[in-house]
Amino acid sequence: MASLGSFLLLATFVVCSYSAAVSVAGARRRSRPLIESGVGAFYLTAALMTVASAVMINAFLTNDYSIKYVAHYSDSVQPLFYKITSYWGGLDGSIMFWVFLLSIFGTLAVYVNRERHRELIPYVVATIAVVQMFFLYLMVVHKNPFTTFLTTVPADGNGLNPLLQNYWMAIHPPSLYTGFVGMTIPFAFCIAALVTGHLDDSWLRAVRRWTMFAWLFLTFGLTLGMIWAYEVLGWGGYWGWDPVENAGLLPWFTATAFLHSVMVQERRSMLRVWNVILVITTFFLTIFGTFMTRSGVVQSVHAFGDDPMLARLFTIFMVAILTFSFGLVIYRLPLLKARNELDSWVSREAAFLVNNWVLLFAALFVLFGTMFPTLSEAIMGQRLTVAAPFFNKWLIPIGLILLFLTGVGPLLAWRKSTVRNLLEQFLWPGVATATTLAATTALGIPVWAPGLCFALCALVTATIVQEFLRGGNVRRRNTGTDLFTAIIGLVGRNKRRYGGYIVHLGIVLIFLGFAGSGSKKEQLFRLKLHDQATIGAFTLRNDGVKVSDDGQKQMATAYISVSQNGKPIESMYPGRSVFRKHEDEEARTDVAIRRSLAQDLYLVLAPDVDFGTQTITLQAFVNPLVDWIWLGFGVLAFGTGIALLPERAYSFALAKLPAEAATTAVVLLAGLLLSGVSLKAQQHQVDPNVAVTPSKNALEEQLRGEMGCVCGTCAHEALTKCTCGTAQQMRSQLRAQIDQGKGHDEIIQAFIGIYGGQQFLQAPIDKGFNRVAWLFPYVLGATGVFAIGFAAIKWSHHSAAAPPETSATLDDPALEERLNDELRDLD
Amino acid sequence: MTQRYIKIGATVLVLGLAFAGLFWSTLRDGTEYYKNLDEVMTNQSEWHGKQLQLHGYVVPESIYRSRNNSLEYRFKVQNNPARATEPGSVISVSYTGIVPDTFKGEAEVVLKGELTTEGFKVSPNGVMAKCPSKYEAAAKSGA
Repeated sequence: MASLGSFLLLATFVVCSYSAAVSVAGARRRSRPLIESGVGAFYLTAALMTVASAVMINAFLTNDYSIKYVAHYSDSVQPLFYKITSYWGGLDGSIMFWVFLLSIFGTLAVYVNRERHRELIPYVVATIAVVQMFFLYLMVVHKNPFTTFLTTVPADGNGLNPLLQNYWMAIHPPSLYTGFVGMTIPFAFCIAALVTGHLDDSWLRAVRRWTMFAWLFLTFGLTLGMIWAYEVLGWGGYWGWDPVENAGLLPWFTATAFLHSVMVQERRSMLRVWNVILVITTFFLTIFGTFMTRSGVVQSVHAFGDDPMLARLFTIFMVAILTFSFGLVIYRLPLLKARNELDSWVSREAAFLVNNWVLLFAALFVLFGTMFPTLSEAIMGQRLTVAAPFFNKWLIPIGLILLFLTGVGPLLAWRKSTVRNLLEQFLWPGVATATTLAATTALGIPVWAPGLCFALCALVTATIVQEFLRGGNVRRRNTGTDLFTAIIGLVGRNKRRYGGYIVHLGIVLIFLGFAGSGSKKEQLFRLKLHDQATIGAFTLRNDGVKVSDDGQKQMATAYISVSQNGKPIESMYPGRSVFRKHEDEEARTDVAIRRSLAQDLYLVLAPDVDFGTQTITLQAFVNPLVDWIWLGFGVLAFGTGIALLPERAYSFALAKLPAEAATTAVVLLAGLLLSGVSLKAQQHQVDPNVAVTPSKNALEEQLRGEMGCVCGTCAHEALTKCTCGTAQQMRSQLRAQIDQGKGHDEIIQAFIGIYGGQQFLQAPIDKGFNRVAWLFPYVLGATGVFAIGFAAIKWSHHSAAAPPETSATLDDPALEERLNDELRDLD
Repeated sequence: MTQRYIKIGATVLVLGLAFAGLFWSTLRDGTEYYKNLDEVMTNQSEWHGKQLQLHGYVVPESIYRSRNNSLEYRFKVQNNPARATEPGSVISVSYTGIVPDTFKGEAEVVLKGELTTEGFKVSPNGVMAKCPSKYEAAAKSGA
């Protein structure tokens, strides 16, 4: 299998280079067959990478420890879910996953735009293919994930680090990669536009959705990383300005800037050079971020290991990107001239411009701070570092300026705002801001920075509400519907604008969370048995420590009863667990968090537990408003979704519908939003009281082994091991069945009756349809093979059938589609 | 036209200077020296009393807690990884507080604190052990 994988990577590299070369040649010679051949080869890379991925996942599933990568990141007891996610768990695999995603996204983008932007396609293909080639080259010559052991094959793998065996951590990297990789598509279109000189705004239309999509995933990835840090690492915070975190933030700043400035170009044909530069910079920063975190250039507590070879290859690639892209920009400067000038500084485009400067400054600043140790060593010979306070000092004002612009921008008119419309627009938002500022000051919240932050949040919210109400009222008068339908219709008519406002609302919520961290409390208590301590409104009492063992790990759990303002509210169980195979490491912190919208109570059990006297040290944090950050992301995602949805989705509100139907729709939508926002993961509540009771007979023991806990968060542990409440309940159900004297199959059937499916089984019944589950990797592989065949057939068919001079002809449906598209965008 | 350029130039200059000034002042109290143990130990007196970030490796089996299970840690840190043949300089370190989950013998650590005559005194929350990163150095993969 390993050699098949290596071969596939090599083959992809060859096909990629072919695709790049043929596309460029085809575009230069205006030869349709050559271009088509390049596109076909490009699709083929996606198929090949799919097969290679299937091979890799298969190696993980079948515990093929002859492959070093598998042996390093998996072991036989690892749950199925983490076996699959281990694919992108390490350096080599993550590069491969990168290429896989890029080939899929590239294929999609090329397929969707093949008619609309025909003149750009060959260069888009070539650009993406070259980027793929770089990463494939890295793998083939330096970091091949399919490398095998030359000596003895280990009997079992090392296993994924326990701290990473976390639900959030499993979905965080793919989300971040999707964001990173997605940014290559706008870059490819940008380069294609520069090379061909088709620098009207059509390339922007092709990429703005992609950018939004990539931006959404980038944001999602960053949020997931924050949630993971908050829930697992146990230091009470979520963002530490570590180089690895910063690497994800850099392209986020520039991508956000681009999403704003693109509107100025569409509306006023300004900032054309600027947009091109932003797209290039965003792409460059994704590569740079990868370089920074993988090559050991920046010293970080995240151990990435020095890899000078990787650093060299990346440096060459980055220099090439910069020289080539900016060379092209300079070459095309005459074509990129702005067609308009800034009329006034009191205009929306000016606000966008300032927003862009601030965002770019933020990116440069974070870049500077992150690279500071390296820079200072190069310049002064001393390695100096800057820490979180330095970043905070600068990014708090930057964030507040951005928030201010978010509020002010939509109130300004394009071109020039008159004093009169300024007054009209700013009256209510101004009042809201002033009132909030006064109220927060009266409550004793310091003006800098939380007070100001709250006031600006009020400003933005007031602006958005005002925009919705005004637009809605106008539309209500015009269409004669009720206000709700009118607002939905409004959103449907101008999805990007109103979707954008909802995104801004999400940002406001996130900023509320940031402002809350200003009044964070942290304290360390040494508590004897039944001692009490107070932090904020909470009183904590030590009810003792217990030790339990679930086979995979040994846990020390403290029982803390919490009362708020004198009333008992909850018991919390902060703990520490020592994992098998990781006994030499400090125990894993199991943070206990009591969430509420007002404040989180966050408890960490220190390692100095004295079991004899049941004395513990407890680190307690009160984090106000922190949950608003996660809620804010939900709103932000909803807004982006609105902006991304096709028009058809709103047709119900765009037509004049009876009011009842519209109201129902609103209720449904609101319900959907709420369910999305308030969806709380089912808690895998480890109840330390639960011990696994011994089985009554062999049948029970066997069935316990076959069944897994269905609580949904514990990686589906077997009932022989799992100690959560759900597992306990399942065990008693099983005991009841055993007591009725039922046989093995009868009991399974009874459980299927209870749970409505086989999800409680560790492995699906190996019969009929269930075999499909195990066939998955093979099916995936076969799909790839079919896709290759299909591509090959289609490709040969096209190049044989299409006469060379057809490149200029446009058949009617395609032209119509393109026209339609352009007309729609004029709205 | 020239007047316009003068205006722009003046604005840029003022803003630039203001930024540079702010930058300089914040940078001065924001920075710490990042040093490997060997660099500090060769010229100890020079580093006394300066805020340092010290990079090294915990000497295997040197971690000692003064009372049973207290939060007062004493351990030794050496310049080179434990698997190296030469340990390099060694220094004793004292720390009170909670250590990260990844802190253990042989762990690669960065310590924030001050060099004193009795050894290195780590400031509160100043122990940073290597993150449980997935991108570990290749040396460990054969283990």
